[in-house]
Amino acid sequence: MKQRRRNKLLIESPASATGDIAFNLIVFFLVCASVQPDSGRKQTIPKAETVPEEKKETENISVDLTRTTVAINSEKVDVRRFPLLMRARLRDKKAPEDRVVVVKSAPEVPYDRWIDITAMIEDAGGIITLQLEEEREVTLPE
Amino acid sequence: MKIKRKVSQATVPSMAMGDIAFNLLIFFVILARAEDDSHLQWTAADAPNLENAGHSLVSVLVDKKNRLYLNGQEIGIAQLAGRVESLLGNRPVGERTVVLKIHTETQAQRFEPIIEAISEAGGDLVHILEDDKK
Repeated sequence: MKQRRRNKLLIESPASATGDIAFNLIVFFLVCASVQPDSGRKQTIPKAETVPEEKKETENISVDLTRTTVAINSEKVDVRRFPLLMRARLRDKKAPEDRVVVVKSAPEVPYDRWIDITAMIEDAGGIITLQLEEEREVTLPE
Repeated sequence: MKIKRKVSQATVPSMAMGDIAFNLLIFFVILARAEDDSHLQWTAADAPNLENAGHSLVSVLVDKKNRLYLNGQEIGIAQLAGRVESLLGNRPVGERTVVLKIHTETQAQRFEPIIEAISEAGGDLVHILEDDKK
């Protein structure tokens, strides 16, 4: 009767390096996750200029924006109809200076609402420009 | 009778060199990124049809606490236009991208002067937003 003797040796990987490997993997994936590219929306806003008083009255479309309402040339409109109306008003305007839409926002308008409305204007072919209300402190003489 | 001393060679184990190099690399990558604004807390607004923002030298951020940051450093609105202008220098159009990260609940009285300042500095504005997949 033959008896076979087998020397079965268990070969284990060094367990002391497991911690290092795990740490390196964590750091690697952390760095990979943090370099994800951002996605966004380009917006061309004409460079701010001081406009002489007599040139202020132009035929540009104006959009008045509050937290709950939106108005085109002071006429309140439904937000769902806003893109259609804006497209209709910009249809015949070919020159870039005619496509300028002046956006006047109430101070409390949140950013997400502002982005929604300005995106609609740009999608309709408008060029956004902002009209800011400047706050100035006036010191009266005693 | 002379007894010979056993000379043992002390060498640096070369097996760990790869690990050391990798760790150094990661360390410097993280150090380089510490200057950006990834540590700041803000929530992006949702919008459809977004495009890749690309590479930008200048990042302007308004966080949840309404504080303004330029490339991760807190700044006042009065200095913003000048600082953005100096960072952009004489770069040609197309390389003047300024990424704007504004917390979704920030109000117009805060973010509109920021947009105006970037526009004044001649930056190409890119709003960083979250893709609305509704």
